[in-house]
Formats: sequence, structure tokens, C-alpha cells
Amino acid sequence: MNFRDVGLTQEEFEIIQRQLGRNPNDLELGLFGVLWSEHCSYKSSKSLLSWLPHEGRAVIQGPGENAGIVSLNEDIQVAFKVESHNHPSYVEPVQGAATGVGGILRDIIAMGARPVALADSLRFGTDDAARMIQNGVVEGIGKYGNAIGIPTVNGEVAYSPVYDKNPLVNVMAIGLLSGEHSVNAKGARPGSYLVLLGQPTGRDGIHGASLLASQDFGNVTDDMRPTVQVGDPFMGKMLMEATLQAIATDKLDAVQDLGAAGLTSSVAELAYRSKVGAIIRLELVACREQGMTPYEIMLSETQERMLLVVSPDHWPVIEPLVRHWEVPYGIIGEITEDRHLVVAWDGEIRASVPPEILAGSCPLRSASPKWADEIRRNVPNLTPFRPLTFDAKEAVAVLGSYDCRSRHPIFDRYDSMILTNTVWGPNHDLAILRVRGSNEGLAIAVSGPGRYAAIDPYSGGMAGVSRVIGLLAGQGAEVLGLTDGVNAGNPDKEQVFKELTGLMAGVADACKVFEVPVTGGNVSLHNETDGDSIWPTVVIGAVGRHHHPLEPIPDGPWREETDIVHVHPHGEWSLGGSVYESLFHRLSAYPRLDPKRVADLYQVLAQLATKVPSYAMRMIGSGGLFVTLAKTLLTMPSRLGMDVSIPPEDAVRHLFSEVSGQCLIFCNPGTTKSVLELLSPVTAADVIGRVIPRSDLVIHLRQSYAFERTKLDRVFRDGYGG
Amino acid sequence: MKVGVVTFPGSNCDTDTMAAMEQLGVQALPLWYTEKSLHGVERLILPGGFSYGDYLRSGALAAQAPIMDAVEKAVSESALPVLGICNGFQILCERGLLPGALRPNSSGEFRCTWEYTRVTSVPEGFFGLKEGDVLRMPIAHHEGAYGVASGQLQALFENHQVFLQYSDEKGVLHALTNPQGSVANIAGITQGSAMGLMPHPERAMAIYLGSADGQRFLKAWLGEDGS
Repeated sequence: MNFRDVGLTQEEFEIIQRQLGRNPNDLELGLFGVLWSEHCSYKSSKSLLSWLPHEGRAVIQGPGENAGIVSLNEDIQVAFKVESHNHPSYVEPVQGAATGVGGILRDIIAMGARPVALADSLRFGTDDAARMIQNGVVEGIGKYGNAIGIPTVNGEVAYSPVYDKNPLVNVMAIGLLSGEHSVNAKGARPGSYLVLLGQPTGRDGIHGASLLASQDFGNVTDDMRPTVQVGDPFMGKMLMEATLQAIATDKLDAVQDLGAAGLTSSVAELAYRSKVGAIIRLELVACREQGMTPYEIMLSETQERMLLVVSPDHWPVIEPLVRHWEVPYGIIGEITEDRHLVVAWDGEIRASVPPEILAGSCPLRSASPKWADEIRRNVPNLTPFRPLTFDAKEAVAVLGSYDCRSRHPIFDRYDSMILTNTVWGPNHDLAILRVRGSNEGLAIAVSGPGRYAAIDPYSGGMAGVSRVIGLLAGQGAEVLGLTDGVNAGNPDKEQVFKELTGLMAGVADACKVFEVPVTGGNVSLHNETDGDSIWPTVVIGAVGRHHHPLEPIPDGPWREETDIVHVHPHGEWSLGGSVYESLFHRLSAYPRLDPKRVADLYQVLAQLATKVPSYAMRMIGSGGLFVTLAKTLLTMPSRLGMDVSIPPEDAVRHLFSEVSGQCLIFCNPGTTKSVLELLSPVTAADVIGRVIPRSDLVIHLRQSYAFERTKLDRVFRDGYGG
Repeated sequence: MKVGVVTFPGSNCDTDTMAAMEQLGVQALPLWYTEKSLHGVERLILPGGFSYGDYLRSGALAAQAPIMDAVEKAVSESALPVLGICNGFQILCERGLLPGALRPNSSGEFRCTWEYTRVTSVPEGFFGLKEGDVLRMPIAHHEGAYGVASGQLQALFENHQVFLQYSDEKGVLHALTNPQGSVANIAGITQGSAMGLMPHPERAMAIYLGSADGQRFLKAWLGEDGS
């Protein structure tokens, strides 16, 4: 076997030779191949990720573990992370997406947290095949999440031909833990058992990390189907209960789930972080098939497996718990003082490599701060696209477009209510969950604006952060932490790596101004097929502390005569990156936001609830003011409508600009003056109309347009023109 | 009162159901599927979820679990009130304790939505509900299209075994209010002391979660006046 067969470069192979002081044998080469793959090593992105701020008041655990942890209050902590399963979901949509859900849930469980919610960010193409992929992905997410019993409470989806052959499936999981029973992968002590729980190891998913997720696609993806894993949510549920009960005994040294690169990654990471060695006795690993080679056992990505490290003294306490949940298990080796990861078969040593070389020596691609500075300075020219005439048909088409229409055909297929904490589910822009035994609840939002990053990735990175923070601020919720799911093309191409640099610089700069930490995430590169790359797409997930989760600030008005206030901090109207522009013009750069100004606005919004007695509010997103008005209308009592006036000379840009930070506030006329006074130091805001006792959306420009509620409803639910 | 809540491998609404019982001031006793005795519970709930991963057929494997022998005995010998919610309903049908079967939704897809249901006939001992009451509760299932063998439907209605039907918010039945192709919009049925329904009352325990009608229903099942 040659180093190229396992996806290593000449340079990497030489480093391995040098550090080992010898040539690795075939099995060892295989171990390096997976652990030094892009997917496992983050070799192209690690230095970019180091730009992100990780510190924050609420942060208990930053990046590096299976998931980040923040504190909700003194008693309750929140573990959360986003993970992608893009490549498998293209090759086999149902299982690819299902195992994506299973994988991120096990990351949360491995931190000792009980999962309470899922949120997903999906990107699909627009051709016929993309519809089949979407159907499979949605089926797969539901299949796993519904069966294991974790609600999918929020999500977002967008469409573009750039995702035709590279759909994105990013799933964020959120779990709760008490802090008393915390566990990680750092505490393994010599002499303790390595206990493998779960599914017997099979031949599925071998090379999933190194070949499937770390290379571009050509036209041979059919042959890759065996590299996709198969999910079993039933076993996942039993494994979850067994693992959480075992952790609750406080008698485990360490826990590590088995994900990409299976046993290899799991044991190497654990030994590396715990600064110990380990011996794996392959003859003790229960296999699903006969005749599996050491290489196959070590690289298998069979799902629903978890590695526990338990001292022999404590094993008698743990074993009955595992038995109760009827989870297959076996002691497959032990932790050693000798800092080598040893793979043995019937006493014969097949591989012996120091964990710090395997898990800690992969050469990293260095980030270029110079490129980042250039990108910061080179603000793209905004196209002077100023359509002069408003066309009601175009407006309806934007509402019914793929990027704006109702997502109920997707989220109705997910159980969003199980565990009975969902106060706001997927029919709202963000999710609000109660937390039993706590006055504070969770606010959860996710955003991944690929369209905004298409021309200017820096601007798109900022917009993603701005969007989720705005959603939380609108509820008066404090951001506890963010997780980032980075998706891009082949990093070996300078253009792609430059885009990635801009994207991450945008996220980092926004996080610094908004003063929010990123506590972990995921990077998926090589989202390319036949040389065509996706738009760089960063999915930002936010978890916040909601102070009155049982009484969210409504996202629509409920009585007539309510004033409608349009808040627009930039006072500038650009259609760059908007749905309107993508439908009726050529997509141009999304306008750069002034994060300081938006941050000031969000601060005022977050405090509004303490100063104004009752109001409703909604952030403006895809489709701009028009779509946000229409969507709000459809949530209002059916006897009510809205009557708004827009400056006729620039109506199209007012109605369809998606410049970040805009929102609508619906307030009683008696309080409008004080709302405007509170906003005036930080933003422009205008009263654009009011709620009327007639169920339509009426817009006054030079002439008046009345959009019937039933028509808007039909278009929103079913799409425009099919 | 002591209410047993059975957990089969893969049940996932068991904790929600126990929490709902506790909210109603009732002691909930968790029962693992291998139990051969019901430990003197006065009522029993088979909660929702994916027992045995819904493999083979929803509820088919759980219907053969050891505890189901005890359940069947208690129903036939002492008329123990047993409530099957969602997967529990499927299990009761598979065991033959309720007539009919739950087939895959007509869409072929899982569906989780809020639905209105109408009380069609008030089961014996349900003081808090009256005919025509409308309850708003969520459904969440892949196999919820109730069906019976041809010729059996009329008898179900005549014997007042159909207690809940999917309706609109005013209690009117029509095809558009049928979420998944159940025959005659049937959402819940009874037979003797056994009762099954697809909607999840344990998820409708507070207005802020979308509805408190589930609380009303469960109180009625417990024999209390919840109105």
C-alpha cells in the first residue's frame, strides 16, 4: 500500500517517517490516512478557526472536546454543536442525513448532556435530482430524530444550483447537563478498561472520513455508497440511555463517541487528550461479519458505538446499567502508561504509534492574515441596481420563491414537540424552549446565508452572525455561545481558500464586535463536484438565555390600530444578495454591515421589553420587508390586515432589501413615541403603517396595491407558479 | 391513585407521560417491559414512541413483550383501564385488545402537526367531557391511518367505541380535517376498559405549549371532572 492510497501527501508521509523514525506498516499508514484526513484533522481550517473568539462569561468548555458547553444558570449547563454530513447525504440521502443526526447527538451525549433539541440548516439544488435529495434528507433527519425522541425545533433551508451536486446537511444538537456529572475525553487513567458499547462493528463506512468527506466528487460517487454508514435510531436510543446512566454514576474515567474514522479516531483522540497510551485487542471487538481485517475494524464507521473508559473497580457498577438497556458491549483493551496506541491481534502487535503523532502532528495549512486584511479593505462595489417600478406580480413571486416560501412541508415531517419543552417551534424564526426546574429557558437560532457569501464571503460571514444575534436580541435573550458549521469547496485551490479566509474573517470580526464566543463547530471542505464548488456557506447556530420563555415577545400584532415601525440601522437600501435580485437580476455582493452600529441596535432591542409594556417584533430576513410583512400577516387573526406606505421613488429597494439588522416592531400607538425615542440614538426607524380591521396587506406607493390574504397564504404555502 | 407507565425498548414519550401524570397530582410508576406483574397499579398507560424502532411493524414486537400478558389478563379479568397513546394505541391493536389497525399515513410521510378532534361519544366514567367537545392536541406519527376490516365500521359506531374524530376547530368533520387517511376521521377508539388514541394528550398540558386540552382529556380518563 502506498501513502497516496490512503489520501496522504508526499510531505505528510515524510513527516510520519521522520517522527516515527521508520516506515509505517500498512495498518499504521491506514490509521494516519484517516486521522490526517481533512475531515478528522481540520488541517486546512484550524489556523482560520483560531481567529474566532472562544472566551465568554458563560463558557464552560470551548472548542476541542466533543461539544462546547455554556452555563444557562448556576445549576444547568448547555452542551451544543453543529455538525455536517454533506458528502454522505449526496451519495445516499436518507442514511447520510440520518447518521448525521445520530452522530451529532452522540457528541452531545459524550459530554454527559441529555439532548433536548435539534436544529438543522439545509442547502439544496434546484434540479429534479435535488428534489429527490431533499426528500431523502428530510426523511432521514426525521427518521433518526423522531425515533430517538429528540425534537427538531428550528431550522432553515435555501436553494441554489450551486448545491445541485453538493447538498449541505448541517445539524445542530443541544443538550442539558447539571454540571455535577460532567465527563470528557481527558480523564483516562492507566489500567482502566476500554469498553466498546453499541452496534457490533461492520464493514460500513470504511474510508468515510478520508475518501468520502475529504475529496471532491467526480462521476464515480455510486461506487462510494459502501462508504456511507447506516443508522439505527433504536440502538441509538438504547445507547443514549445506557451512556447517560453510566455517566451519572460519576464512575467513568472518560467517554468518547465513535464517529468519523471509528475506533482509530476515538482511541487516538482519547489517549492523546488524556496523555496516556492504549492497547486495543482486536480479537475482543465484536464484529458483524466474519473475516474482517485489522484495517477494516480500525477504520469502520459503524454507527451507534460509544467508548467508555472505566477502571476495573468501577466496572461492576457500570456493567449492569449497560445490560439493562440491552446494549451489546465488550472490554476491548485497556489504557497503558506507555504512550503508544497499540493495536494487537491475539497477542501479536499489528500497529504501535504514539497518539501525539497520530492525533497531534498533522501539518496545518497556515492562514493568511494578509489576505484577510486585503479582503477587509476591498469592499466590493455594490451594483447600482435600482428598479424603478414596483410590480405586484414580482412581489408575490418573491414570497412564493424557494428561498422564502413556507417550510411546513419539511418541518411537519419532524417531531418538534416531544419532550414537551417547545414553546416556539419551527413555525417561528427562532425556537424557544422551557427548561424544567429553571425560570430561564433556551432561545435557539440558526442561520447560514450562502447567498450573502456568494460574491463577498466576508460580508456573508458577518451576516450569519448578525442574523442569529438579532433573532435572540429581539426576544431579549442573552447569547451564551455560538457554534459554526463551515462548508466550502476544495481548499487546495487558492480561490476557494481565499473565500474561506474571507468567510472566517467575517465571522471572527462580527463575533468580536458582538462580543460572543464560538465554542466549537465543524468544517466540511471539498464540497465540489466535477470542479464546481458551492458558495462558501457558514452555518451559525446560537444558544441564548431566555428570561421569560413561557411568554415570548410575540412575532405578530394581535389587535387593530397597532403601529408598524420599520427599523433600518443602515439607512441605506441595497438589493445586493437579496432574493429579489437573484430572481430578477444578477446576484451581486451583499452589502457590508457596520457591526458596531448593528450591535448597538441589538442592545437597545434586547432591552426594549423592560421599557415598553407590550409589543410584537420580527427580524427582517430573506425576501426583505415585503416578505416579512406578508409572513407576519399570515400569523395574525384572520380579521386583521396591514396598511403600509412606502416612499414611491425607491419602493422596490425599500421592500426587498435584505440589509442586516432590519426589523419590524408592532406597538400600541400610545407607546410608539417612546419606542422611537429609544431607537433614535442607534438607528433610523419609521412608522410605515398600521394594523387594520380588513384582512389584506395594503401597500401605498404612487398607487395602492391590495394583496388578498388568501392569495398570499396560497402562494406562501404552495409556492409561486409551482 | 397509582398509574403505571410502561417503557418498552425504544419508547420515547414515557417521561413526558409520567411528567403529565405528576402534573395532575397522580403518582406515576415506571414499568419496564420485562415485568410480569403490574404491581397493583389502578390504571395503566402505554406511551408513545418507537418501541423496537418500529421494526417489522409499529407495535408488533412490543405487543408480544412479557408485560403485555399481564396487561391482557388485567383487562379481561379486572377491567383495568388501559390507555394507549400513539405507539401505545398501535400496540393495543396489534395485541388484539382494540379492534382495527394503524396503517401508514396516506402521504407516506411522518407528520407532526396540531389537530382538532371532536368527542364523538363519551366513554363510561368520563365526567369531564361531553359529546361534541373539541380538543386541540398534536399528532406525531408515521402509521396513524386507522382502519378496520370491511363491514366492521358500523358496529364500532353503534357500540359507541369511536370516541374521538379529527375535526375542524368547531367540531365539524370533513375530508380536509383528516390528517393521514384514517377511516371516518377516527382518532381514538375504546373496547371494554382499553382505549387508544393517536393524538398526544401528554403534549397538550399547558397553553404556552400550544394547548391545555390534553390535561382535560387525561383528567377525564382518570375519572376526574376536568371541565
